[in-house]
Amino acid sequence: MTDATSAPGQDPATPGTGNRTGTGAGRLLVAVYGVLALAATARGLYQVGTKLDEAPLAYVLSLVAGLVYVVATVALARDARRTAWVTVGFELVGVLTVGTLSLVDVGDFPDETVWSRFGSGYGYVPLVLPFLGLWWLRRTGRDAPGADAGTDGPDDEPAPTVG
Amino acid sequence: MILVLAVLVAVLCAALAGWALWFVVRDRAVVLRQLWGGAVVEGVLLLQALVLAVLQARGHEVDGVLLWGYVVTQLVVLPLAAAWAFAERTRWSSVVLLVATFTVAFLELRLLQIWGAV
Repeated sequence: MTDATSAPGQDPATPGTGNRTGTGAGRLLVAVYGVLALAATARGLYQVGTKLDEAPLAYVLSLVAGLVYVVATVALARDARRTAWVTVGFELVGVLTVGTLSLVDVGDFPDETVWSRFGSGYGYVPLVLPFLGLWWLRRTGRDAPGADAGTDGPDDEPAPTVG
Repeated sequence: MILVLAVLVAVLCAALAGWALWFVVRDRAVVLRQLWGGAVVEGVLLLQALVLAVLQARGHEVDGVLLWGYVVTQLVVLPLAAAWAFAERTRWSSVVLLVATFTVAFLELRLLQIWGAV
């Protein structure tokens, strides 16, 4: 592989109508998810490891968020649709919930988790990403969303590994 | 010293980003020469890690865990983008490289803030 001689736009991994979630434009989604997973997990580990007693709930949540991003990244990359739906959905709920709570200043959510103030510390990427993720899952889906239980891609996992 | 290295990282990242952007526009996948460019950036980052380690050992006051978290994260970003370049032979690998260079540059800025250089 010394040059980009292969034809652009062609993807050997997409026979038929369905698209895999981790190819083409999906690579970008997986890449951005990967960066966020790395950032959130590293930060969560740091917070839990060095100052857990300052804000236990927020920091544990921070770490959980990071780990869920990791699972979502892997699920999107490997075309594990059901896991991807669950984890991306979890993030959407998370960012909306924590974002709102941090704005109205309920509980101990310092501006140090990925989801605080709707992810403003991360350029609002955590807020935008779940919507893009769900849209992409829908777009690449071979079946209607929700009806993909038994007819998933080859790499689909039997059950979500969250929690 | 750190500031000089940071400027070097920023310039190299900007150059690589421009190169990747050009490939995105031209609908081309990442080529090996761009990965060599990424390797140069990695080399500077490794040098920076060495300098940081020496300065820290000499007694620079800094949150070590936080600093090295960023150093390690910064080091793995471009190799991941390189892996992508082999797996995805479309323009999207160029987009990923573009995002990766921005990420490295952003982490560099955070690194300077943590170090107390800016």
